[in-house]
Amino acid sequence: MSGPGNLWRRRLATDFRAALAIVALLAVLPLMVTSPYTLGILIVSMYFAMLALGWNLLAGFTGQFSLAPAAFAMLGAYTTALLDYHAKAPLALGISAAILATALMGWLLGRVVLRLRGPYLALTTLSFAEIARVVVGNSHEFTRGDQGLNVPSLMESRVGYYYVFLAVLAAVLALLFMLMRGRAGRFWLAIRDDETGAESRGINVVRYKTLAFALSCMVCGLAGSLYGTFSQLVSPELGLLLQTGLVIAMVVIGGIGTLTGPILGALLVYLASEWMRGFGNVQMIVFAALVIVFARFFRTGLWGLASSRLATRGGAPAKPAPSSP
Amino acid sequence: MTLLRAEGLTKHFGGVAAVEQLSFGVEPGEILGLIGPNGSGKTTALNMLSGFLAPDAGRMWLDGAPMERLSPMQLARRGLLRMFQMTRVFARVCALDNLLTAGLARGLAEDEAARRAHELLAELTLEPVAYLDAAQLSGGQRKLLEFGMCFIEPPRVALLDEPFAAVHPVMRETMAKFIRRRNAQGHTFLLVSHDMPIVVELCHRAACMNAGRLIAIGPTRDVLRDTAVIEAYLGSGSHG
Repeated sequence: MSGPGNLWRRRLATDFRAALAIVALLAVLPLMVTSPYTLGILIVSMYFAMLALGWNLLAGFTGQFSLAPAAFAMLGAYTTALLDYHAKAPLALGISAAILATALMGWLLGRVVLRLRGPYLALTTLSFAEIARVVVGNSHEFTRGDQGLNVPSLMESRVGYYYVFLAVLAAVLALLFMLMRGRAGRFWLAIRDDETGAESRGINVVRYKTLAFALSCMVCGLAGSLYGTFSQLVSPELGLLLQTGLVIAMVVIGGIGTLTGPILGALLVYLASEWMRGFGNVQMIVFAALVIVFARFFRTGLWGLASSRLATRGGAPAKPAPSSP
Repeated sequence: MTLLRAEGLTKHFGGVAAVEQLSFGVEPGEILGLIGPNGSGKTTALNMLSGFLAPDAGRMWLDGAPMERLSPMQLARRGLLRMFQMTRVFARVCALDNLLTAGLARGLAEDEAARRAHELLAELTLEPVAYLDAAQLSGGQRKLLEFGMCFIEPPRVALLDEPFAAVHPVMRETMAKFIRRRNAQGHTFLLVSHDMPIVVELCHRAACMNAGRLIAIGPTRDVLRDTAVIEAYLGSGSHG
């Protein structure tokens, strides 16, 4: 289905190309940036970019406002860490298990919250996230509680880690692009815009909502699992609501309901957050204020603003699919 | 065989009987008008027939198969499509993409959905707004778009809830033409409407509800002359 008769795909293709351009830029950065500290910051930015892409699939594309992305990152990280700690399982197995476990938990959460919308959905996912964090923190015998767990590293080389994160980010981006340009993507947008309307047209809302939950949580779990091996320590702090707040700020500032926005937002917000460390603990105040400004005046985020400019200049239909779940 | 049949449908909300013992059938190829004053239970009946509301009692069949346990999605896949009084289009994608999504949801291949979507846009005079987000369309254009979404894969029965309400006369005529043309091809409609001239013009038969009950059913003009129907609309003492 190509040609002029497919505006969504043209918008998505433009969006995907822009996201790929950012990935390409990240790919050449280590040629110029050699400081391990800066590379570390960029690696953490890519971790947040994956969380942001995962959350955006649910909130931006499917209209399901979850407050649990950080909790699923924590659960992914703990799955890998616990398999190593208790069973001395190889990391490849630990990371695969994290993907499967968080996908399954996401699917189950999706089934539980199937009929919930708006604030009820947000509060239920928030409750799940807090329960998960408290259970992990209090299970001293099994998880070592707030002390956290040490996780072996995948490799010594920081540049190597950088490219592992970049490759996984690119793979997540490609997966989301493929899904969004197909049947599933169209059905997710339909559910976001009008769940009742989607059901009345014959869309299996139950299947596609739970699929979105499973995939979104899986992406967050994978990101958390990788991050655990990079930081070599996982603790319940990974699942703090503050982390989810940061992810939401990244997506809203970058552009919700797009592929480029979450990556752009994650990079800018995390880099700015590191830069602001020198001014005291003001990061969250600044980002919260920015979220208010963007939600009020620039709902399409930075990528929305940029793509509107591109469309005006080139006549290309680069407008993203804005979303306000 | 009757295409869509309801037998003893009943729905109570608390102590209020919204629909009470409603029985009627829609024959293949007919347009049946479901009329009645405000609050008579027409939309509740439509909600039960389209799977959005479970009846307290009664049974329903689509082409002889029981349908009271089916969800709206399952009914849509079996060819029972619903248009809503307040349109339910996908606001943040363009009109063409709305049609493509509806086509894919009905199991069409992408190329076929695209071909039919372009044909429907032309037929429904929506070509000039094909690439506008549905949120930017007028109320009438959204209703036309819903017609297209229903008919991208022709339904066995189309349930239309007040499609002509608050719509510009030119668009009303486009809708009426669309219904007439599809009906001439053998398609079946259950049309809920307050617009009596349109009901008279389009519907082969009419069924009138009042206070949740069916008070008359038959050829449209006969139903509109029925004393009980006139009383329901105008109050007792209005005739004679």
